[in-house]
Amino acid sequence: MRESRLMLLQYATALVAVVLVSIHLVMQGVVLPYSTAISFGNILSIYRNWIYAIFLEALLVVVLVHGFNGLRIILSELKQSRPWSTWIDIGTVVAVVVTVAYGTRTVILAVFA
Amino acid sequence: MTDLKLVVQRFDPFADFKPRMMEYAVPKKDGMTVLDALLYARDYIDHSIAVRFSCRQASCGSCGMKINGRPRLACYTQVAELGGERVVAQPMDNFAIIKDLVTDLESFFAKHREMMPHLIRADREEQEKPSAEYLMKPEELERVLQFTYCIKCGLCTSSCPTAATDSRFPGPQALAQAFRYITDTRDEGGEERLALLDDAHGVWRCHFAGSCSYVCPKGVDPALGIQLLKRHVMSGKAEHGVGAKVFTAATTPPLEGK
Repeated sequence: MRESRLMLLQYATALVAVVLVSIHLVMQGVVLPYSTAISFGNILSIYRNWIYAIFLEALLVVVLVHGFNGLRIILSELKQSRPWSTWIDIGTVVAVVVTVAYGTRTVILAVFA
Repeated sequence: MTDLKLVVQRFDPFADFKPRMMEYAVPKKDGMTVLDALLYARDYIDHSIAVRFSCRQASCGSCGMKINGRPRLACYTQVAELGGERVVAQPMDNFAIIKDLVTDLESFFAKHREMMPHLIRADREEQEKPSAEYLMKPEELERVLQFTYCIKCGLCTSSCPTAATDSRFPGPQALAQAFRYITDTRDEGGEERLALLDDAHGVWRCHFAGSCSYVCPKGVDPALGIQLLKRHVMSGKAEHGVGAKVFTAATTPPLEGK
């Protein structure tokens, strides 16, 4: 993928993440007291709300894509060689896929628990 | 009149293990530049000091160095404006040292050439033998004028934090020149240049520290050019790159004009 497309993705995920993280913090710290928000029962009830489960999945994908793409940029500036760039690109894709899959597994297990 | 304490970083990569600082007492004069002080030290105290210079009027860009920690032209920096009685001269960062204050600008010029810093026309035959003069409107010239003032001194690149870590990054000078030609209405080579810039080590590695614009002795704003360049790269189009050949009554074909 062209670097400009990856940077567009980086900017877009940053903007969406600001909105999603803000909503998440409000829901977890303002709507409910933090101690109540992180209780086991409340978390299960959140996951069983389909809208909130989709919201959490979106938050997971957006933050992980933004974070790992940012790490790719930092690492590519650290050292310059063709093999290094190739390994960084492969590592970024693998890291995003694995962590999104693991996070999604958690969401699915909680929804159907 | 008191003496100026001129501290010069000395280093010969073929003889020295690491750089050392040497201090010279130079008699101060009104209007004395740092280059004047360095040449006095070289001519009357230590002939082995290596310093590169040429025009002495901030036109050639040869005497770029770090003076009191900031990249400057030695010929364009007066001792009086620095304040104090001590001036420290060091070679520019981000370049290999040839000797003392002389740095190797080979890669810097190579990156400049990579950006094809000349007008490109789709018709290469026309480019080699233009049939008429290509004109610009004053407002079109204004868009690129400041970038034509670049003297390729290397100060912007020496102050760039990305150039310090990414050896493949073109640097602010080359990127600003790419913008200068892409935006030129007489140029048709925008897409060729944009393809070069849309790389993992290209224009996107500028994080807008802005130090390049801060240190430029000619008032060029490379950071601005680079941010505008990102817009061209994102759209994949050189928005002002397709120039029209303008024929007017005043147009004189350059080959016939002599």
